[in-house]
Amino acid sequence: MVHQQQLRFSTRGRGTYNISQQVDEVISKSGIKTGICQVFIHHTSASLILCENADPTVRTDLETFMKRLVPDGDNMFKHKDEGDDDMPAHIRTVLTESTLSIPIENGKECLGLWQGIYLWEHRTSPFKRNITVTVMGE
Amino acid sequence: MIFFQDTLKLGKHARGAYEITELIKDVIRESGVQTGTCHLFLHSSTSSLVLCDTADESTKISTKDFMAELAPSSINAEGNLKKSMEAMPENLRGMSAQNEITIPVSNSRQGIGVWQGIFFWEEKTSPIERKLTVTIMGEALHKSFRLTSS
Repeated sequence: MVHQQQLRFSTRGRGTYNISQQVDEVISKSGIKTGICQVFIHHTSASLILCENADPTVRTDLETFMKRLVPDGDNMFKHKDEGDDDMPAHIRTVLTESTLSIPIENGKECLGLWQGIYLWEHRTSPFKRNITVTVMGE
Repeated sequence: MIFFQDTLKLGKHARGAYEITELIKDVIRESGVQTGTCHLFLHSSTSSLVLCDTADESTKISTKDFMAELAPSSINAEGNLKKSMEAMPENLRGMSAQNEITIPVSNSRQGIGVWQGIFFWEEKTSPIERKLTVTIMGEALHKSFRLTSS
């Protein structure tokens, strides 16, 4: 059995947004008890991560790390037309994930106790982000 | 639920990014799957699959430059390192990107963003024949058939 649904999120600029609950709601709606849930983001300047959900400073530190690894406005970049934060956003996306597959157990997303699914907005300004959730199983 | 699998030969390519979006579109059409997922698996650790911006060519070039800086090939500039060491930068870059991705199949097409393209990214400077296995799972409009070719 296959159930597919589109989700739309409005971000408030660079940062991480917990989408675990919205994904779990799609799984509940599907009626699937055992299977796989595939989450896919339709963008190249925002991505998906599985991250610790207890201490928010973990995600602040991830942001700090990425800022150092891929500095905004780096002279090395040729793609500059869309602003200093655009090319770093594309690289951050390549370095993280655009697609995640999560097991479904007893009709719920089978995540670790401290694991959360996050949408990571890499652009500094707010954007509308589309995600497709495909649930397959029995 | 149907499963469809095909292994594609990508040929030998020099270092760089090559768009394979159309190629994947054809496999999805052939599978007959209307709603489901499409898994792409590259049989290699020195090349990768990247979902990248298709609007501006300079995005690809800048991504390549960044990766080159992150894992420079000049690591073997001394010229006296063993062959396995020479492959290290490519392996590192292969690791930083992905060699398998899953995309949704919606309305018998790949459900990806307007500016998203699927790229095969060759890291090696000396071309190697690359293979890509595409596995499509989902529900079909009409009865499909299983097929495996190489």
